[in-house]
Amino acid sequence: MLEEYGRILIAAALTWILFVSVDIFWRLPQKGGVSGAKAIGDMIARRGGNRNGGWMMGNIVSSPDASAGTLLAACGVFVAGIPGGIAAALLVFIGNRICHDPGFAGTTGALIATAVITLSTQFGFIPSDFIVGTVIAILTIQGLSLTKASHLLGRLWRWRA
Amino acid sequence: MESLIATVICLLIAVYGAIRAVAERETLARLPFINVMNFGIAGAIVLILPHPLTLVAAAAYFIGSTLEANAIASAYAKRGGT
Repeated sequence: MLEEYGRILIAAALTWILFVSVDIFWRLPQKGGVSGAKAIGDMIARRGGNRNGGWMMGNIVSSPDASAGTLLAACGVFVAGIPGGIAAALLVFIGNRICHDPGFAGTTGALIATAVITLSTQFGFIPSDFIVGTVIAILTIQGLSLTKASHLLGRLWRWRA
Repeated sequence: MESLIATVICLLIAVYGAIRAVAERETLARLPFINVMNFGIAGAIVLILPHPLTLVAAAAYFIGSTLEANAIASAYAKRGGT
């Protein structure tokens, strides 16, 4: 029981690092992308948050990004192993095109997450740890404090830019 | 249901996101909390019913809800209000 909580926390930390670095690698904080993402970033900036961090959060809301890719890849590996993870990457790719997102952050995130989750099953993790881990990771970004999260993402973005 | 603890955590986070979204007054600021709720529900769908086709259902739910959030946000962006 206690062991499962520990695994879930480690999985949450791993997925957080994974999707934030993939999103920043694909330059999600650089601009608003679609008009809705820009509006969310501007709203967070108006409340005292960081504009680049806010744009990244807007992009996460408006199109399936690496966090969605990680979640669906974890679901895919949970139900069908590696083929499930690849199917999830394909579904995220189709979702990106439906949402008018020209980027590949979601697809890359899903493929990397499939590899990470498959590897970590060798170390005693089970794929469901990563499903709940991704949900906890997205909670820390989108669900606790919009301004604080945007400052953290903005600081990471300045490091990359 | 293979992992009860994981399912319960997903559902609790989904309920938390829904409560934060209802408590928030500005529509654009609600969308990130709705996003948290969608993550929780998509995870819970797969955890409650582990079957390959469930992946398609969860992806359809998640991508559909993302598209809706996208539509709401751009409608508000064009209108210029909050």
